[in-house]
Amino acid sequence: MSAALIWVVSPNSQLSSGLSLGSLETEEKRGCNRLSNIVSGKKDVVSSVVANPSGNLAISSEQLVYDVVLKQAALVKEQMRSRLEVEDVEVKPDVVLPGTLGLLNEAYDRCGEVCAEYAKTFYLGTLLMTPERRKAIWAIYVWCRRTDELVDGPNASHITPKALDRWESRLEDLYNGRPFDMLDAALSDTVSKFPVDIQPFKDMIDGMRMDLRKSRYQNFDELYLYCYYVAGTVGLMSVPIMGIAPESNAPTESVYNAALGLGIANQLTNILRDVGEDARRGRVYLPQDELAQAGLSDEDIFALKVTDKWRFFMKKQIKRARTFFDQAEEGVTQLSSASRWPVWASLLLYRQILDEIEANDYNNFTKRAYVSKPKKIVALPIAYAKSLVPPSSRNLVSN
Amino acid sequence: MVCLARILDASSPLTPLFSHHNSRYHCKNVKSNVRWRLMSSSDPDASMYASSSSIDADLAGKNAAGFCIIEGPETVQDFDKMDIQEIQDNIRSRRNKIFLHMEEVRRLRIQQRIKSAELGISSDEQDNELPNFPSFIPFLPPLSSANLKQYYATCFSLISGIILFGGLLAPTLELKLGIGGTSYADFISSMHLPMQLSDVDPIVASFSGGAVGVISALMVVEINNVKQQEHKRCKYCLGTGYLACARCASTGAIVLIDPVASANGGNQPLSSPKTERCSNCSGAGKVMCPTCLCTGMAMASEHDPRIDPFD
Repeated sequence: MSAALIWVVSPNSQLSSGLSLGSLETEEKRGCNRLSNIVSGKKDVVSSVVANPSGNLAISSEQLVYDVVLKQAALVKEQMRSRLEVEDVEVKPDVVLPGTLGLLNEAYDRCGEVCAEYAKTFYLGTLLMTPERRKAIWAIYVWCRRTDELVDGPNASHITPKALDRWESRLEDLYNGRPFDMLDAALSDTVSKFPVDIQPFKDMIDGMRMDLRKSRYQNFDELYLYCYYVAGTVGLMSVPIMGIAPESNAPTESVYNAALGLGIANQLTNILRDVGEDARRGRVYLPQDELAQAGLSDEDIFALKVTDKWRFFMKKQIKRARTFFDQAEEGVTQLSSASRWPVWASLLLYRQILDEIEANDYNNFTKRAYVSKPKKIVALPIAYAKSLVPPSSRNLVSN
Repeated sequence: MVCLARILDASSPLTPLFSHHNSRYHCKNVKSNVRWRLMSSSDPDASMYASSSSIDADLAGKNAAGFCIIEGPETVQDFDKMDIQEIQDNIRSRRNKIFLHMEEVRRLRIQQRIKSAELGISSDEQDNELPNFPSFIPFLPPLSSANLKQYYATCFSLISGIILFGGLLAPTLELKLGIGGTSYADFISSMHLPMQLSDVDPIVASFSGGAVGVISALMVVEINNVKQQEHKRCKYCLGTGYLACARCASTGAIVLIDPVASANGGNQPLSSPKTERCSNCSGAGKVMCPTCLCTGMAMASEHDPRIDPFD
C-alpha cells in the first residue's frame, strides 16, 4: 500500500528511486520471515549475518535497512495515536508576515518547474495525483535533487564534508519550522502537513557522504545499502504522502517495505541502464564479487564491449532487479485509491527499461535503454486498470 | 614567474581573516604559497607537475574546507569584525589574486598543451577553436565558421531567386503565355472584398509585405535566443543567483515579538512593532542558491561572475 513514485533521473545523477508498493506477503508478526522472503528472492545474496574484514559479526545491510523500515512504520502508528489522544503542542513559530502565503505558493510552483525541467516523465506522472500530493512530491523531489547535485552536479568538486554537515543542519532547521530558503520552505510546509519522518532524509545525506568516498562496491550487500540510501529513502519518504488505503488490512511495515523495494528496484534499473556512462566517469556500481564470479573485471567494463560473459552477467542482474519489482508490485494495491494509478504507471514504465536493455542485446555501454513515447502512452490505461483493483481486506499469505 | 609568487606571498598578510576562525587554514595557505614558489622557480617536467598539481588541488580543497560553499547565517557575519578600510583592502587583494591565478592558469595550460603534444597525448578539449553553436532559426543545422559561407550562399541565392521571380518571371509569364496572375483588381473583386483595397500602391504593398516578413523573422530569432539563454540558466533561482530567504519572507526584516508592557501606557496606542535585521540573509532578503553558487548559470565556471545581492 505504498504509492509508487518513480524518479526519472537525468543521466548524470545516480539518484533514482521509485516508490513502488509491493507488499511482502508475509505473516504479520514475523519480521524475520519478511527478511527471509527478501533474501530468498535473490539467489546470490549473502547470508543475513556477514563477517566483516575485522572478524566481527556484522549485521547485513538488509537487516539494517529493514530496521529503519520497522522504525518508520512504528513512528507512523505512534503519530497517528498521539494525534488522536493529545493536542499538538504549539511550537511558537516566527511571526508570519503578510505575504508569506504567496511566497509559499511561488515556492511550490518553482518546485514544479524544476521537476518538469529535469524529470519530464516523472512530472507527467505527478499530474495524475491530487494537487496536494503533487505539490508535496515536487517539494521532496527538489530537495532530493538539490542534495544529489551537491555531490554530483556542476559544483561537485567544491563539496566538502563540512558542506554536507551544513546541509544536514539546514534539514534539521526546516524540520523545526525554520527553513533557510524558499525551496526549503516548501519542504518544511510539506512535512508539517504529512507525517514524513526526518530519518530517510538524513539517510540520503549519508548516502551522499558515502558516494564521496566510494566508487566501487565489493558485494551486493554494500550496493544494497547504497541503493537504500539514494533510492529506498525516497520510497519511505513518499509513503506518508501517497497514503495507505483505510480499508487495507496489510500491515504498515509491509507497505513501507514495498516502497523500499520499489526504490531499490528503480535504482538497480538505473544502474543497469547507465553502466557505460558511469564507466566513462570511472565508476562501477556493480558488485565486484559477482563480476569476478562471472569472469569479468573493471577492465572489461571500461573496454565497453559486449561479450557473452557480459550477457550472462547482465541476465542475472536483470533477474534480480525484476524480483524487487515483483515484490513491489505485490503491494501497490494497498495504497489509497487516488494514488494507485500514478504509482502503477511509474512502476510499469520503469520496469520496461529492463526490457529495453534486453532488446538492446545487453549493450548498456553505448546504447541508452529508454521507453518510447508510444509505449509510455500505452502503459497509462494498463496502469489505470491495475489501479482499480481494491486493496486486500484480509491478511495476505506468503508464497 | 617568480615575481608572481612574490606578489602572491606579499598579499597573504592581508588575509588574517581566516586565521581568526581556522588557524589551520592560514598555515596551509602559507604552505601552498611556498609550493607555488617552488613550482614557478623550477622547470617542471610532466610527472612532477602532475603530482604536485594533484597535491596542490588537495591543498586547495582543504583550504576551501575552511570556507564552505553552503551558506549559513554566519558566513557573511564572519567578515563583520573588520572595518571598512580592512574590507576594501581584502577585496582588492583577493581580486588581485584572482587576476594572477587566471594568468597562471593560462600559462599552465600552455605548458600542458606543449607537454601533451610531446608525449603524444591528444587533448580532449578543443574549445579554443570556435565551437559549433546551434542556429537561432529553428530546424536549421548548427552554425560554425565553415558553415557560415554556405549560409551566405544559400541566403544570397534565395534572395536573388525571389527577386528574379517577382520582377521578371511572373510578368513574363503573364505577358508571353497568358499564364500568371490575375490583376490585383480582378483578385479583389473575385474575393468579393471592397474595391477600395485594389487601389493600394504597388510600392507600398511590397514594402509592407517585406517589412512584415522581416519583423516576424526577427521575432522568431529572438524567441529562439531567449529559449537558448534560458536553457543555460540555473533552474532553481531562474538565473538570479539567489533564492528568497524563508525566515524574513524576502523582506529582510524580522518582526520582534517580545511582549510589550502596556500597564504604564494607559491610554497610549500601541507603537508599531519593532523589526530587526534578518540574521539569515543579513537583511538582503535573499540567500545564496547552492546549485549555481550565485552565478545564475546552470553550469557554473570560474569565469562566471558572482551576482551581487543588491542588483
